Amino acid sequence: MLKHLLDAREMVHPEPLQISMTLLQTISNEEYLYMLNYKKPIPLLEVAKEKGFRYLTQQDNEELWHIIITKNSVCNLEELIDV
Amino acid sequence: MFSQGGLSLEQAPPISVVMRFFIMATSFGLLLGVFILIDKLEIASNFVQNSQLVIVHILALGVMASFMLGALFQMLPVIAGVVIKFPTKQATIVQLLFLVGLLLQLFLFATKQNPPLLYFLASAYLGGGLLYASILMLKELIQIKDHSSSSKGMIFALIGFILALSIGVYLLLTLGGFTTGSLFLEFKEIHYSFALFGWISLLIVSVSFQVIEMFYITPKYPNFMSKYLTLSIFTLLIMKSISLIIGIDSQAITLLIFTLFILYASITLHRLYKRKRPTSDATVWFWRLGMGLLIVSMSITSIGLFITLNHQLELISYLTFIGFALSVIFAMVYKIVPFLTWFHLSNQGYMEAPMMHDVIHPKKAKIHFYIHVAMLSLWTVALTLDIIILNILGSITIIASFGWLLYNLIFAVKKYNYTQKHTEKFEW
Repeated sequence: MLKHLLDAREMVHPEPLQISMTLLQTISNEEYLYMLNYKKPIPLLEVAKEKGFRYLTQQDNEELWHIIITKNSVCNLEELIDV
Repeated sequence: MFSQGGLSLEQAPPISVVMRFFIMATSFGLLLGVFILIDKLEIASNFVQNSQLVIVHILALGVMASFMLGALFQMLPVIAGVVIKFPTKQATIVQLLFLVGLLLQLFLFATKQNPPLLYFLASAYLGGGLLYASILMLKELIQIKDHSSSSKGMIFALIGFILALSIGVYLLLTLGGFTTGSLFLEFKEIHYSFALFGWISLLIVSVSFQVIEMFYITPKYPNFMSKYLTLSIFTLLIMKSISLIIGIDSQAITLLIFTLFILYASITLHRLYKRKRPTSDATVWFWRLGMGLLIVSMSITSIGLFITLNHQLELISYLTFIGFALSVIFAMVYKIVPFLTWFHLSNQGYMEAPMMHDVIHPKKAKIHFYIHVAMLSLWTVALTLDIIILNILGSITIIASFGWLLYNLIFAVKKYNYTQKHTEKFEW
């Protein structure tokens, strides 16, 4: 699985959403988006859900959100998350 | 903390919901400017009964509550993950009842006629529409599992709104002769306290905990503030209300509320100063101005607790409070509208969706900021000197401010419709 890391911690809203949506429009089944953000990106997760993507969100001890989004329907998302 | 699924964009309101509320709010802003102009020219003095009451309610309900309800319909799903079922239908019911009720109320405050039936109808429509909206939002908000400081604060703000509305309905029914109006003056003060501090200010505080960090990449608010500020202010407002009803002195509580707002505004200004990406668009300036004005307003009002203020200074404390609320509202509108236009079109698959700066160019927002500053400056001088020409110019700047915003909103709607009609869409 090819990881597309998007560190959105220093990005101004809605840059993370713009970059993510552009990526998700072209991403294949063998790729996934891995986003780091201080806020849970609810609009992005809504889009992902509506478009049939799978996602997993987890907050680490420093309250940083780790977000994985992929089209792949069989991979274990918990194995991909790095918290 | 894991979470998968549970959200659906189908439940998010279409852009028309928020735009309709924003356009209604802006239209009431124009009405406000025209009404003050007519009032200052003394054209309306023959038939207007209580122009102050009309101005306060156009501003607090027609302008501020309309903007805030529109923003809440949009922000609750985005910020808190709250799902409001059938948002278009619900928003339409609320808006119609609200509009009819408010127009009736303004008619009653403005004219010297007071048929009880109209007071009853105004209470029913206005109270019904706004209470329905706030209870609907509150019910959904309470049920969410992972509360943030913003969502918790919104709960207090909505309860504050419900209290202000319920007391407002009681006052209106009293004016219509339906109740004896016991403790009328005390309830009037509680009504204003919850409307200004428990609803408008608490909602701004709650939203800022989310958007200041997110929009401007600032350091986080101190934990004690994001966790306890809204709860503390709300509790103090309840204590103040009880004190008023049982007739004991509430000056210390009031001072504490004002101090907490000054502390909040100072910390927000500091956070904006420390932002990591020092871009400086109009919305940052609106926030800075708003926080500065909140400090000025709360400081003057605090001094007024100890010494008798002269009338002009008292009026300036009201003006700075209005300036605070409008500045933050404008900052939010100039973030929300371009974002929503781009977001909805992109999500629908329009590859040529206009970018945010194409929807409302930052220069247009900056022009509005200058008009807004001119409006506040003119009114500060006008209230101090009470010269008729300054009052007229001040009224014209109110019309210019909301007229410019209306133009920007209509431009955004046209851009949205044009993209949908004339550009290609793809499925993704």
